[in-house]
Amino acid sequence: MKSRHDTLGTAALLLLILIAWEVAGQLRLVADGTLPALSAILTRLFAERSDYWPHILATLETSGLGFIIGNLIAVAAALVFCLWPIGERLLRGVNIAAFAVPPIAIVPVLVIALDGDVARITLAALLVYFPTMTATLAGLREVDPRSLDLVSAYGGGKLKALLLVRLRAAVPAIMSGFQVAAPAAVLGAILAEFGSGARWGLGTFLLGSLGRGEPDRLWGIGLAATAIAGVGYGLAALAAQWTTGRNRAVTIAPPPSESTSPQVERWRRSLLTLIAVLLPFLFWQMLLLAGDLSPIIAKTPLGVLDYLFFSNASPSAQSRLLQALSETIPITIGGMFIGLAVAFLLALLSFATPVVMRALLPFALVTQTMPLVALTPLAVLIFGRGITVTLVITISVTFFAAFVLLAQGFALIPRPAFDLVDAYGASTLQKLRLIAIPASRKWLFVAARLAMPKALLGVMIAEWLATGKGLGNLLNQSRGYLDYGMIWTVAVVSVLVAIALYQLTYTAERLTER
Amino acid sequence: MQGLPLSFVDVEKTFHIKGQALTVFEQLTLDCPGGSFTALLGPSGCGKSTLLRLALELETADAGSILVGDERPSAARKTGAVGVAFQDAALLPWRNVEDNILLPFQVLGTKPPDPEHIGKLIRLVGLEGFEKARPEELSGGMRQRVAIARSLATEPRVLLMDEPFGALDLILRRQMNLELQRIWSAARPTTLLITHGVDEAVYLADRVIVLSARPAEILADITIPFARPRAPELLRDPQFHKLCDEIGAYLEPQQNQTEA
Ligand SMILES: Nc1ncnc2c1ncn2[C@@H]1O[C@H](COP(=O)(O)OP(=O)(O)OP(=O)(O)O)[C@@H](O)[C@H]1O
Ligand SMILES: [Mg+2]
Repeated sequence: MKSRHDTLGTAALLLLILIAWEVAGQLRLVADGTLPALSAILTRLFAERSDYWPHILATLETSGLGFIIGNLIAVAAALVFCLWPIGERLLRGVNIAAFAVPPIAIVPVLVIALDGDVARITLAALLVYFPTMTATLAGLREVDPRSLDLVSAYGGGKLKALLLVRLRAAVPAIMSGFQVAAPAAVLGAILAEFGSGARWGLGTFLLGSLGRGEPDRLWGIGLAATAIAGVGYGLAALAAQWTTGRNRAVTIAPPPSESTSPQVERWRRSLLTLIAVLLPFLFWQMLLLAGDLSPIIAKTPLGVLDYLFFSNASPSAQSRLLQALSETIPITIGGMFIGLAVAFLLALLSFATPVVMRALLPFALVTQTMPLVALTPLAVLIFGRGITVTLVITISVTFFAAFVLLAQGFALIPRPAFDLVDAYGASTLQKLRLIAIPASRKWLFVAARLAMPKALLGVMIAEWLATGKGLGNLLNQSRGYLDYGMIWTVAVVSVLVAIALYQLTYTAERLTER
Repeated sequence: MQGLPLSFVDVEKTFHIKGQALTVFEQLTLDCPGGSFTALLGPSGCGKSTLLRLALELETADAGSILVGDERPSAARKTGAVGVAFQDAALLPWRNVEDNILLPFQVLGTKPPDPEHIGKLIRLVGLEGFEKARPEELSGGMRQRVAIARSLATEPRVLLMDEPFGALDLILRRQMNLELQRIWSAARPTTLLITHGVDEAVYLADRVIVLSARPAEILADITIPFARPRAPELLRDPQFHKLCDEIGAYLEPQQNQTEA
C-alpha cells in the first residue's frame, strides 16, 4: 500500500529534481546551455504546438500499430516456445538476430523492400518483439511448481498447465514486457521516420531540427516522444501493479527444477545449434528472393561472403572491419556491465525506498525514449567526443530494460520470505543479501540478455554520431560511399557479435547455478 | 462407487542432488485394499510426501510398480479417480476459494458440479462467507481447508492427503476429523492419510503404518480394531490411549534403532 506520506515524498523529490533542472538551465550551468531550462523548453513547445500535432499523430500511429503487432507476435511466440522448447532452440538465432540488428542499419533496406508505412511499422514491431517475448517466456516458465503439480495430479497435460496456470501466472511478466516495449516502439518509429524520408513524424521533425543547433527544440521533440512512450508505459505499469498483488505466491515456492527440460544427446544438440545458426541466413536469403531486389543493393549471405573474402575490396574490407571490432567490443561489454550494475542498484534502491523509485522513473523513461539520435548531439556537447560519451549513451540505453525487469523480480518475492527474516530483526541490507538478491538471480540474467544487444546498439549509435570510431562509424562511412557490401557486412557482423555476447550470458547463468 | 485399491510393490526411489544420491525407498511394498483407510506416520524427511507423489506419478519410481486400480497412476489420475490435498495448500493465488475448488474439474475437462455441491463443501470445511476470498486473504489453516474441500470435490475413489490438518487448532482438527470420517464412511474412497498426529491416525484409520527414517521401511503395520462410526468419546477411551502409546513408541528415536 502506498501511504500518503510516500506520495508526498515522491512529489517532493520530483519537484526538487525539476527545480534543480530549471536552475541549471537558467544559469546555463551544463555545457553552456545544452540543458535549457525546463520552462524554456515548455514555452517553446507551447508556442510551436500546431507544428507538433501532425508529427505526434504520425508517430503515435506508427508506434501504436508496431506495439500491437509486435506484442501479439511476441506473446504467441512465447506460448509456442513454452509448449515446444525445441522451437525456441531452433529459432534462437532468428530471435536474437531480429532483436540485435541495429535498427538504423536496416532502415534503408526495409525502405527498399517494403512500402514506407509498412517499413516503419515493421521496425517498431521488431524492436517490440524481443523484450516482450523474453519477458513472457520467463513468466510462463517461472511458475510455482506446486500449481503445476496440482494440474498434473488431476491428469492435466502441458496444454492445461499453460491455459490454467502458466498464462495467468505470466501476466505480470507480460506487463513488464509491455513496459519495456512501449518506449521501444516509439524509438523504432522515430528511427524509421528518421531514415525513411517520411513526411510526418517526430523523427522527421527531429531531422529537420538537428542542423539548427537549438537545444530547446531538440528537447521539446524528445519530451513529446517521451510523452507518447510514457502513456504506453504507464498503462502497462498500472496493469502490472494491478495483477502482481494477486500473483504473489502466498508461501515461498522452491525454484522450478532443471530436470524438467529433456536431456538431449550431444549430436542432437549440435544439430539444433547448427539449424539455429543457419535459419536466420535462410530467412534472409528467402526474403531477398521474395522481394526480387537488385543484388547490388541487397546482398545475399553469399554476396556478403564474396565481398568480405573473394573480391578485390576484401583485404581493405577485412582490415577496416577488424579495426572497428577491436574498438567496439570492449566498450560494449564494459558499458553493459555498468548499465546492469546501475539498473541493479536502482532496483535495490527503489525496493528499499519506493519513494525514490517513483521520482526517478520519469527520468529513466526520458533516457529511454529521448531518441538516441537526439540525445547523442546533446550528450556530445556535455561529455565531449571521447570514450565517456559512448559509455554514457550505452549505459543509458541498457539500464532501463534491466531496471524494469529487476524491479519486477523484486516485487514478485513472496511476502512471507520477508516476514520470516523480519522476525529475526534483519536489516534492509540483510534482507537484500538473504532474499532479494538470490530471488532476483534469474531476472538478472534475463536483464543481461536484454541489455547485451542494446549495449551494442548504443555503442554503435554513439560511434556513428559522435566518436568516429568502431562499427558505427564504419557503417556511417559506408553509407556515405554507397558501399553496400560493407553496410551488409557490418549489419551481419554486429548481429554475430551480439549473438556471441548473448550466448555468453547463458553460459554465465549455467556456471552460477553450480 | 467403491474405492480403488492402491498398491506399491518393491518401490525404489533415489534422489540425486548435486551428484549426491539420497535413497528414500529401497524396496517398499504397501498394499491399500479398495475402500480402506490407511494412516501413514514417520519421522520428518523419511519420505511420506514422496510416497504420495509417487502414487500420483509426480515422481517416477526407479524400480517397482505402483498401481491405482489396475492402472498406472498417470492413467488413473486422468479419469478423475484420484483426489489430493498437498502438504502446502497449493492454491492458485489469483483464484478465489470457489474457483480454486473448481480447478480439478477444469483440468479434467468434466462438467462443473452444480453450485450447491461447492457450497456444501465450503460449509463442510467451515468457510462459508469466504467463497470469494483470495488465498492471500485467508489464514494458513483456512487455506488448508480449501485444499481439503478441493480434494473431496471430485468425489474421488482414491483420496491422498498430506498432513491436511497440520495448520488447524485442536478443536477444528477434531471437527474436521469427524467430517472426514463421515465422508469416508459414506463414499468409502481408498484413503491414504499422512499425519504427524498419532491420535488422529488411530482415530481415523483402519490401519496405521509407521515408516522408519531414510531409507524408509515399514516399522509397524497396526490394525485399528475400533468399530465405526467412531464417536468423539473414543478419544478418551483407555484402550485408545494404550494403542496410541504403543504406536508412539515406534516413533521414538531409540526404538527405531532397535526395531530396524
Ligand atoms: N524433488 C526432490 N529432490 C531431491 N530430494 C528430494 C525431493 N523431494 C524430496 N526429497 C528428499 O526426500 C526426502 C523425503 O522427503 P519427503 O518430502 O517425502 O519427506 P516427508 O516424510 O514428507 O517429511 P515431512 O514430514 O517433513 O513432510 C527428504 O530428505 C527430501 O530432502
Ligand atoms: Mg511431507
